[in-house]
Amino acid sequence: MKANTHFAFFDEGSKKEIRRATLKAVAIPGYQVPFASREMPIARGWGTGGLQLTLSLIGQTDVLKVIDQGSDESVNAVSIKKLVQDTTGVQLTECTEEADIIQSRHRIPECSLTKEQILVLQVPIPEPLRAIEEREYMTKRMHAEDDYSGAWLMLFEQIMKFGKTATTADHPVSVHDRYVMAPSPIPRFDNPKMDHSEALILLGAGREKKIYAVPPYTSVKSLAFEDYPFTVESFEGAHCHLCGAVDVFLDELIDHEKGATIYQCNDSAYCIEQLNKQEKVEVESTYA
Amino acid sequence: MAIDQVHDLQYVYRKLLHSMSRPGTISSITEPVNRMDYSIPCSEALLLTAMALLDGEVTFHIVSDEHQELIEKISEYTSAKYASIHEADFVIVLREDKEQEIRHALEQCKVGSLIDPQQSSTWLIESSVLENDGEIVLKGPGIQSEVSLQTGFPVTLWQARNQRTNEFPMGIDLIFIDQASQIACVPRTTAIAHKEVG
Repeated sequence: MKANTHFAFFDEGSKKEIRRATLKAVAIPGYQVPFASREMPIARGWGTGGLQLTLSLIGQTDVLKVIDQGSDESVNAVSIKKLVQDTTGVQLTECTEEADIIQSRHRIPECSLTKEQILVLQVPIPEPLRAIEEREYMTKRMHAEDDYSGAWLMLFEQIMKFGKTATTADHPVSVHDRYVMAPSPIPRFDNPKMDHSEALILLGAGREKKIYAVPPYTSVKSLAFEDYPFTVESFEGAHCHLCGAVDVFLDELIDHEKGATIYQCNDSAYCIEQLNKQEKVEVESTYA
Repeated sequence: MAIDQVHDLQYVYRKLLHSMSRPGTISSITEPVNRMDYSIPCSEALLLTAMALLDGEVTFHIVSDEHQELIEKISEYTSAKYASIHEADFVIVLREDKEQEIRHALEQCKVGSLIDPQQSSTWLIESSVLENDGEIVLKGPGIQSEVSLQTGFPVTLWQARNQRTNEFPMGIDLIFIDQASQIACVPRTTAIAHKEVG
């Protein structure tokens, strides 16, 4: 049986509630605004926060792109895309430039976003202080008091243990020099893209019932010490084995025939775009 | 012809979000407003903005106390409940409201707490024609360098607003709506400077 759902799945009251929370989130950059996360047809923790944001934003003329760790074609991205399209009939795209709304799990696309675009990030754990303090009651107070010693201590302990900050993803950032925020599990490589971004960035945590935002042109600083500055993942000497790109976030793979380590663009749409450009040049130079 | 509760309100929300995330940026909601035909004692753009944001879960307050009819209309159209200035989630200011009354309301309205700064009031203000040249210069998150804005909001009211927003994250967020169905927002993070006269 196929239910005849309302436009964008939600009833209008749910959309309004999410919209009000989103506007508050934009007005208080980095602050986690509580919202009444709805029951969704996908499991909590599988992108319901991002999905609810997308559904509250989307209109008939929007073009939607959904990515899951850089890929347009992985299961999480495809199922979310299908749900949104089935309930709205919007156009889908894989091309980053064509999209009005980009919902993403754990990556920010390689090509820079524009002021007409909105990036929606799915967040599993929105609280950057959760590892230090389990009680929501207490973390809310820490945020209120601008008490981020716990976050600093966490980084300090990593330096003591490993000689460097050992956050692989979700490295905490300070937004507008006030709130410390979890940027969602994006690699450190993507943290600088949030700083003074042209596009509005919305973050949604469905299971934890929080919405927060980074408005455009807002200062986003990754937490770091003077003598241990923030660094991103380095891919020095490596390039994508398909398109040859450097200066992008690369996945490390094993070439099964040769047993050697090879690298490949994590952002699949970017990689395909590069390949198409190369092919175009090749075709033009061969037949022209 | 009536408006479309689903698509027109989504359209208005996106314009609001665009302007709220880029303070001082003027967005137009003329298209759905042109389709409205309500007899109400406020601008149709203001009613449409209220319809996009208000429902039975929130409360509103109208600054002037001479607008019983408008209170009833907004309650009917949105299901939102009327509340005192101390409790209201949304505060509505009309063109003809007196400066004194508005200032009093600015001093009384809720600004949230350090623990829950989102429990603050959002203002819907009928303004003179919005333009990006004029009296005040805005700076802050969402603004690349600076942007100037004309709202017709007098200096004393900006001072009262600055008083209520100087303890970030607590504060109020303002949405200006003019007769030409344009909207511009000034959230709590925005720093206001007045242009030197002369």
